[in-house]
Amino acid sequence: MITYAGPMVLGFLLGFVLGSRIKLNPESELKYDASVYLIFLIVAFIVAYLLGPFPYYQDFPLADGFVAAAVGIIVGKLLLGRDRGPQELED
Amino acid sequence: MVIMCLGVLTILGGHITPGGGFQGGAMIAAGFIFCLIVYGLKESPFHLSHDFLSGMESVGALLYVFLGIAGLAFSGFYLYNLGVDLYGLVPSFIQNLFDYPDPTHAGIIPYLNFAVGLKVMVGLTAVVIAFMGFNEFKDSSEEETEEEGEIE
Repeated sequence: MITYAGPMVLGFLLGFVLGSRIKLNPESELKYDASVYLIFLIVAFIVAYLLGPFPYYQDFPLADGFVAAAVGIIVGKLLLGRDRGPQELED
Repeated sequence: MVIMCLGVLTILGGHITPGGGFQGGAMIAAGFIFCLIVYGLKESPFHLSHDFLSGMESVGALLYVFLGIAGLAFSGFYLYNLGVDLYGLVPSFIQNLFDYPDPTHAGIIPYLNFAVGLKVMVGLTAVVIAFMGFNEFKDSSEEETEEEGEIE
């Protein structure tokens, strides 16, 4: 079985960029704790399984690019997605 | 976030399936725009600063241009699909990492899709952010003129 690294690496990279932009407003009443991301990850796995080995790669039974993007979003949020500071709130 | 992941998948499969950089970028931008419409500019969990927007736009454009220039350098044709075996010098394990070993051997097309996807995602989102920002500015300036009118 050949594992195709290209879609997973690029998917993770794009997801990381998107996840690093999750910057919550500390003054907001909306709270996004860990359960939101846990549910998102579970939903992402279900969607990826239903999509099948898209686009026509046969290495995994699920869409690996989709899962890589989802993991990238969460890793990006954990590493770079801090709450907004006072300067960013003014922007 | 699920819509954004689907957009990423559309970008990744652009060379052998319907879709590609523009379509995938538009889907990711749609995810951002839904967030902005539902939560508003201040409460949106995704915060895109001006520096990020301009940076990503530049990265996408430069990546596209440099891939084109790479084709020019290695073959004499701009945007030539040069593949991964450059002059037979690249070791095989690096070739396997960057090659898309599907029947079409996509070469640089997925990377071009990636660059276009970044540009389109940021460009479409920037338009909506600018319109929402103008709208807030207009509302606040109208309130100020009404207050001034009441004082007079």
